[in-house]
Amino acid sequence: MLFISLIFIEHRQGGTKMSAVAFVIATFTSPENISTNPQSMLWLLPLVAAIAVVYKATKVPTIKLGPFLKEAVLLFGSIIVFMIVTALVLCVLAWLITE
Amino acid sequence: MIKLSKQNHILFLLIVGLLAWLVPGGGHFILNEKKRAIIIFVAIVTTFCVGLYAGSIGVIDRVNAKPWYVAQIMNSPIVAALDPLTATGNYPVYGRPNEIGQIYTSITGLLNLLCIVNAVYLAHLHRTQTGGD
Repeated sequence: MLFISLIFIEHRQGGTKMSAVAFVIATFTSPENISTNPQSMLWLLPLVAAIAVVYKATKVPTIKLGPFLKEAVLLFGSIIVFMIVTALVLCVLAWLITE
Repeated sequence: MIKLSKQNHILFLLIVGLLAWLVPGGGHFILNEKKRAIIIFVAIVTTFCVGLYAGSIGVIDRVNAKPWYVAQIMNSPIVAALDPLTATGNYPVYGRPNEIGQIYTSITGLLNLLCIVNAVYLAHLHRTQTGGD
């Protein structure tokens, strides 16, 4: 019932009426404004988290919250550390080649 | 009789694989691995939606980004249903949002492929361990 009432909530945007569903759908039809600055690299964090969670969900023999979270966080950290090390190595290589 | 059992087994594996493709986590759900199924569903659907949010549905492009589309279709047939919408060219997306959207949606597709293979393997193990073959 709450969901149905949420659907029919109407927003006033720029003088035009728009249902909540239409508003949500509209957010998927125009891209976000993401610039090419170093901060945009932070977009990799949710993806790495998803990879760690799904991979561990297929690997652990039984799903128990504590051990599962520990395994997923460990994998998440390992991937991030490996990516940082790779980035540093590439930076050093680029510096050596260009200097 | 043995032949029929083998056919049933293959059919069961196909159904599990198809379910896992139709709904992420569906294959595990039918195998009574409900926690695993919920985790897979939430993780894959959320990440896929984040990808679509970042890059819009325009990142699903069967014509100009075929390799990405092949990975994206692994998510669910919903991707194929979205394709006619984006094929009109009404949702153009370029640059970093396009990259991030494509990477997110394609990686989730490949993750779902991993889950499909895992579900089919688990189904095979369940059947062979319970003396089905």
